[in-house]
Amino acid sequence: MSKDDTLTVWQVVELARHPGRPYALDYIRRWAPDFVELHGDRLGGDDNALVGGVGSWAGRTVMFLGQQKGRNFPERVRRNFGMMHPEGYRKAMRLARQAAKFRFPVVCLIDTPGAYPGAAAEERGIAAAIAQAIMEWFWLPVPVVAAVIGEGGSGGALGMAVGDCVVMLENSIYSVAMPEAAASIVWRDNSRKVEVAEQLQITSRDLLAMGVVEEVVEEPEGGAHTDFDATAKALERTLLRYLEALTRTPTEELLQHRYERFRYIDSLIHADADFGPKVGSGPA
Amino acid sequence: MITLTPAYKDVPLVGSPLPEIPLPTNCPGCGVALDREELADRAYVCDCGHHFEMRGEAWIAFLADLDTWTERWSDIRPHDLLNWKLPKPYSLVIDQLRSEGLNEAVRTGTCRLGGRPVWTGVFDFRFVGGTLSIVAGERLARGLEAAASERVPYILVAASGGARMQEGVLALLQMAKVNAAVGRLHAAGVPYFSILTDPTFGGTAASLALLGDVNLAEPGAKIGFTGPRVIKQATYADLPADFQTADFQLARGQVDMVVPRTELRPLLAHLVDLYTT
Repeated sequence: MSKDDTLTVWQVVELARHPGRPYALDYIRRWAPDFVELHGDRLGGDDNALVGGVGSWAGRTVMFLGQQKGRNFPERVRRNFGMMHPEGYRKAMRLARQAAKFRFPVVCLIDTPGAYPGAAAEERGIAAAIAQAIMEWFWLPVPVVAAVIGEGGSGGALGMAVGDCVVMLENSIYSVAMPEAAASIVWRDNSRKVEVAEQLQITSRDLLAMGVVEEVVEEPEGGAHTDFDATAKALERTLLRYLEALTRTPTEELLQHRYERFRYIDSLIHADADFGPKVGSGPA
Repeated sequence: MITLTPAYKDVPLVGSPLPEIPLPTNCPGCGVALDREELADRAYVCDCGHHFEMRGEAWIAFLADLDTWTERWSDIRPHDLLNWKLPKPYSLVIDQLRSEGLNEAVRTGTCRLGGRPVWTGVFDFRFVGGTLSIVAGERLARGLEAAASERVPYILVAASGGARMQEGVLALLQMAKVNAAVGRLHAAGVPYFSILTDPTFGGTAASLALLGDVNLAEPGAKIGFTGPRVIKQATYADLPADFQTADFQLARGQVDMVVPRTELRPLLAHLVDLYTT
């Protein structure tokens, strides 16, 4: 671990985006070799930037959902560089609802620079698709665990990251916007990305310190791309540990905890007297 | 066009006298010289249909019957968690805006609309672009939770550029915080009306603003996720002239109706009655 304390923030960003880094299917196929991929949102589309399907993991059937990047140029295009359209969020929620029906836990792997910033996504309602997904995760009566495995960019990442626990791989990032976009927004100059990346606090350790993620999963020496098997094993151990505890939690307690996890996510500010008193979380 | 029964015609066009807002001397829509007082009585809508931008306190005065507005949690203050310096220190930005009398990007409270009790949350675009921040998210979540437990209809006025960069990932997570609370409002069967004004984008559009039981857009308001500047940068696309306008979103199923501000209060009163019987 000490090796990475010497990395600059931008070096972490580059590791998170490393073209040789394991992607969602690299993990899913290692964890559940019998994985069956399912397709389509049942509303008129499919989205290859989001893979979903069922497989057996540690003795139970699990619904896997993952934002998927491509390994070579044609596949990158087919996966739209991991940027989902509205169909992706609708497909994810279709599969999440199916998971609830069969009492399968859901595993979400986050790896996206953000939702697709294009006219087609706008025309088909990307904002409402993300909004609906985020709301619906809070109603889903089965355990949901999420892991940021590369880039966790903006609302496009959050739409798949409303879990009972959220963990991050050591060299992944999670941010309100990718550094280029944030620089463009606050500075109208996306060449200031390195400075803005340092300002944003987006590394796994920053997020752990802020209480946004439960745990940081260490990567092999040199980064996840140097050893897919070891990285997959480490992440598997962590996620299964959470899943074991969550599957024993009564549903009502699970949903209340998920609500409070996000409702009081900024609890370090709640501790400040100026911020005013906490109020009850309202009726279930 | 919605036909309202005569009872709703008694709901005044504006709730309280509207404060002054910045106005040009002539209407950009029709060129007529503007009469401030007359315009204020018409909710800052010109006879030609041009809607002048109302912000924060003007929207509160517009919605609330005279002397019925009770603001809540106005004491919650923003914090510079990330010690943000680029390109300007966030703490200075906040101090400056507060010295201008603005109190964060969202204000919330209770009021009556045509005599009906409602909870309201009003975005103010003048405060860091109406960005969803920790304070904004907290005020929204508390108001939504209170509306759910009191079973009082909730009215949102959205005007926002999205999540606030200067508060980092915790600003992003406000989307989940407020949507969790909207989910509880829906689960409690309490009606939620969302008024989308110009502009409503990013994390605000992708969270509570588009989750109303009824989404009402102002004529000409721009509503979307990614702004046109970024779309053009990212995709080099030519965007149609009506891209992301209220009518564009109506045609694409994202809003229920486009409502002139002069008809909004009688309609809201009617909707509150329809959804609470």
